Amino acid sequence: MVDKQEMKAMIVSILEEMTDPSSTESATKVVEKPINKQEEATVKEATEEVLEDITQIDIRKQFLVPHPADREGYLKMKAKTPARLGLWRSGPRYKTQSMLRFRADHAAAQDAVFSYVSKDLIEEMDFIEVATKCKDKDEYVTRPDLGRQFDDENIATIQQQIKGTPQIQVIVGDGLSSAAIEANIKEILPSIKQGLKMFDLDYDEKAVLFIKHARVPAMDKIGELTKAEIVCYLIGERPGLVTAESMSAYLAYRPIVGMPEARRTVISNIHSGGTPAVEAGAYIAELVSKMLQHKKSGIDLKEVE
Amino acid sequence: MAETMLSVGIDLGTSTTQMVISKLTLSNMASAFTIPRIEITAKEILFRSEIIFTPLKAQNEIDIEKIQHFLDQQYRLSGVQRAEINIGAVIITGETARKENARSVLQGMSGYAGDFVVATAGPDLESIIAGKGAGAQEYSKQQHTSVVNFDIGGGTTNIALFHDEDLLDTACFDIGGRLIRIEQQTQKIIYIAPKLEQVIVQEQLSLRIGQVVSPADLKPLLKILVAVLENAVGLGEKNPYYELFITNKGLKLPANIVCVSFSGGVADCFYKELTDPFLYGDIGLLLGKELCQSKLFREKKVIVSKETIRATVVGAGSHTTKVSGSTITYTAAALPLKNLPVLKLSKSEETGTQEIICQAIKEKQQWFEVNQESQMIALGIEGYANPTYQQIAHLATAIVSGFSAAIARCDPLAIIVHLDNAKALGQAIFSRLPLDYPFVCLDGIQVENGDYIDIGMPLIQGSVLPVVVKTLVFE
Amino acid sequence: MILKAKLFGKVYSFQSVMDVMAKANEEKSGDRLAGIIATSSEERVAAKVVLAQLTLEDLYNHPAVPYEEDEVTRIIIDDINQRAYNKIKHWTVEELREWLLATTTTDYDIKQIARGLTSEMIAAVAKLMSNLDLIYGAKKLLVTKTANTTIGEVGRFSSRLQPNHPTDDIDGIMASVMEGLSYGSGDALIGLNPVDDSTESVKRILTKFEEFRNEWEIPTQTCVLAHVKTQMEAMRQGAPTGLVFQSIAGSEKGNTAFGFNATDIAEAKHLALQQGQVVGPNVMYFETGQGSELSSDAHYGVDQVTMEARCYGFAKRFDPFMVNTVVGFIGPEYLYDSKQVTRAGLEDHFMGKLSGISMGCDICYTNHMKADQNDAENLLTLLGTAGVNFVMGIPHGDDVMLNYQTTGYHETATIREILNKRPTREFEQWMEKMGFMHEGKLTSLAGDASVFLKK
Repeated sequence: MVDKQEMKAMIVSILEEMTDPSSTESATKVVEKPINKQEEATVKEATEEVLEDITQIDIRKQFLVPHPADREGYLKMKAKTPARLGLWRSGPRYKTQSMLRFRADHAAAQDAVFSYVSKDLIEEMDFIEVATKCKDKDEYVTRPDLGRQFDDENIATIQQQIKGTPQIQVIVGDGLSSAAIEANIKEILPSIKQGLKMFDLDYDEKAVLFIKHARVPAMDKIGELTKAEIVCYLIGERPGLVTAESMSAYLAYRPIVGMPEARRTVISNIHSGGTPAVEAGAYIAELVSKMLQHKKSGIDLKEVE
Repeated sequence: MAETMLSVGIDLGTSTTQMVISKLTLSNMASAFTIPRIEITAKEILFRSEIIFTPLKAQNEIDIEKIQHFLDQQYRLSGVQRAEINIGAVIITGETARKENARSVLQGMSGYAGDFVVATAGPDLESIIAGKGAGAQEYSKQQHTSVVNFDIGGGTTNIALFHDEDLLDTACFDIGGRLIRIEQQTQKIIYIAPKLEQVIVQEQLSLRIGQVVSPADLKPLLKILVAVLENAVGLGEKNPYYELFITNKGLKLPANIVCVSFSGGVADCFYKELTDPFLYGDIGLLLGKELCQSKLFREKKVIVSKETIRATVVGAGSHTTKVSGSTITYTAAALPLKNLPVLKLSKSEETGTQEIICQAIKEKQQWFEVNQESQMIALGIEGYANPTYQQIAHLATAIVSGFSAAIARCDPLAIIVHLDNAKALGQAIFSRLPLDYPFVCLDGIQVENGDYIDIGMPLIQGSVLPVVVKTLVFE
Repeated sequence: MILKAKLFGKVYSFQSVMDVMAKANEEKSGDRLAGIIATSSEERVAAKVVLAQLTLEDLYNHPAVPYEEDEVTRIIIDDINQRAYNKIKHWTVEELREWLLATTTTDYDIKQIARGLTSEMIAAVAKLMSNLDLIYGAKKLLVTKTANTTIGEVGRFSSRLQPNHPTDDIDGIMASVMEGLSYGSGDALIGLNPVDDSTESVKRILTKFEEFRNEWEIPTQTCVLAHVKTQMEAMRQGAPTGLVFQSIAGSEKGNTAFGFNATDIAEAKHLALQQGQVVGPNVMYFETGQGSELSSDAHYGVDQVTMEARCYGFAKRFDPFMVNTVVGFIGPEYLYDSKQVTRAGLEDHFMGKLSGISMGCDICYTNHMKADQNDAENLLTLLGTAGVNFVMGIPHGDDVMLNYQTTGYHETATIREILNKRPTREFEQWMEKMGFMHEGKLTSLAGDASVFLKK
């Protein structure tokens, strides 16, 4: 007679054989289990429990390959790239969990583009708010030319609010990711300010402009309007699936409308998984001092260095 | 925008002394649109000195003048000026390091390795350096396997275990080719190492100083030495003398060691013809031959080392230097900094309040006070993956108050952060220090308590600093 | 030549041949941005009516950019076969369309005639085709090219493995390569878009690719997609170059903005044949995409479909192994949504194949575009049906370096299974040998990159 334990072990091993993809790729046998589950579920009431947040799973550690030749080696290799590796398949298609995560990350990315920076943040930071000629997000994404222009009313606001000729004019723009601004701006601005002190420099935190529907070349117009020596422009980057919160800094020495792109100095990839905002701010401060010292930016600055 | 730096390695071993000069290429690996990321992208050995027997005055005293003369000569041959050397390491290994005069030797040598560093090696560091120089680490990475390198020198065998690039463990045994020295002409024994004396007594072997020996007489002793080395990677039955030969510790023996490699002088003896068994006036050749017959060769995959007798010096010259992150803060006046002991905050201290951090720094500085004299230390911290401005500000305040005594003495501060925080943290510290106070705050380097650190002069338009971390205590 | 048409009693008149061409286009946001789009749906159809009655000679005589001004035009015109052209120059675009679609017209017939077609004629006929026309027309056209292996054979469907990494970490790149290969991706090419465009970086990655390809005896091509001049320098320094890559445009001005001209490409090709590791004769890899000329202000007021066709006319001179239209990368200002991307993908594939190009498509979208992965999968299925030579393969469709989404390793495998297609012949044999594929289906080993960690 087989006892209970042995019986259980036998069943487990038979089940394993059945579901082992190395023994068969056939899906028909595997299907039975979920059906049973469903029957169970129909008789139960909804509970107050919340399912795990799939967006909190670290993709670099998520590993779904059932029988890897070298699990440890795979995980190690996976840790070296943010690429979605080791997530296995169902037939030739994706596993449900990885597919859902992909969709969640895409949703976050799209929302970052098509949402606005919150009014509360703009107020809290005491930004001077202006907007380009784009009337909505839809026009913004299809008309890059309008995202760099201001109407007379906005021009008047800028001229009234920015007094004198600032040495360093800081601008914040929503760009293609409002989420990037919300995630980083509060940390980067004080860091820039602190860093500038090391070089006996400063900017006026009461005169920071916030531009809605902003494209990068909008900074050139601001440069012309304020006659600032340095324009330092923090703007949301086009989001990817890895993060929707990546911000860039564009800096230029005396920017003017129509100047070559090569005159901008760019620091991209500012987010929690890239260069931390605080550290980027410290770096930007040093860049500003170099630009003022050499009276150059972009490629011209690289050449003199 | 590649830039190169010159690194020198000097190995002062029990039996031999040598040097190499390496050229390390630094390149910015980041795109033009992100903050630079400088890495060492190529290593090339420009010059290999000849190998000399370490000159000794009396039995155990290193002749420093002869070594200086040798190094002078080698610099001339290499065509490299000492002033051109950016960084490097002097490794005093094996029995030599334990000689009473090691410290004074190092002082006598400091100018000979450029304007930088002098390092003493513990057996662990030596094992790591030799393993890297032999190419064991690289092989483990390329083949995704585990490799144990045996660096068998004159007095010690240094063992390092790598798995898929990671260093897992080190060990050291008092086994080497010159544990017994034999006069070549007369075949008389002229020296027997103390631990071997013990074995000889217990095994009742008839080996005495002054006695004429044949390879056959030495065979029982060699078998014991080889058995201990087999034991070191878990092969064979535990030899009764295993514990005796351990210098500081054996390997913790993780389950599967797939490959072994050999470096050090004895590794050159494996395939030499045995026309004169005492060609080098020692038992190195015979030990090599014996190892060839061992379980190590039969049961493990033996891989070819990139370097044999030069593994340690190449390791010292090419594999000890790292570069810091490229967003750092320092005042040039603080550099270079040499041989600073590392004081690392524990995780709980680092995440504690300002008061806790400040107290921890104060207390730990006292550890390094010798005869009421304080020593400069480097503060090691982990840092934050994505700090807030407030976190950085608090940390800076705590660090500056923790070092108040050092600041009063005008000692330069050195802060070594693992994560990418050093530019912001450095600027925050700057704003809390007296004007123009000398300090270094760098990141991208992981340190532990017990490490010593050297920081060289800036490279790549001042964006990075070359760093040598000397790991003396190995977990 | 008649440039006027009446529709529902209303007369529509057009300024020029290129005005007709622009307005005959299916709606694209890029043509709107350029200010050349039809102002109404009816005007669009009127333009198509006019276009249908233009002769091929009319198009020959009115190239998008004047012959004297533009190297690309000269290459297109100079390279056409005059005998073939003279045979068909009196055809209207309508006649060309119907001849191409006729059941009796074979791949063989089309190849005879296609030698006489300029890029403008090819663009014109595409504008008169519906999406299914484009699929049906392209399906007939078989273009095979050979580098180390042969792409485009009947019953084959290939992919470029794109192992991009945000910092070019070589171990991270290789992780993606290993997993992709195990899924059967990479038979067209293992091609990396580098972050660091320096010669050193190109050499380093090419060397690693070649080491790995040799170690596992993988029958495919490799490439690091740096600027052509950087790749040339790497070749001169002895890097084991596979295919030579460059992004190209439909006008000389556009190519100048990309930093090269035809002489550079000819030199690169010569160098690759002389020093590269690819057997050939086809050693070049080009990328294109509707809208790139407008983005560098090099479009001469011409619509983006016509400019795209001209890329293929330029490419043809260098007989590339593969040309890839990166269809949804450029953003919503050029292709607004999935409908426009789908149309562009089908147009480009058809026009490329009719130009005699081994055509593939990076079926992709950015996150500021109204599109998602379902749309990419739709276009993939359409292009698979149309017989596209290759698509992209990237882990789970997410490019972590370029921050856009394209088709994943899984998509290549799925399309092969649905449409009963295989990788290139040599690569299929290799997959069988490695145990990743058996009789065209993935085995239980497929998807396990760590197979390559065990020797």
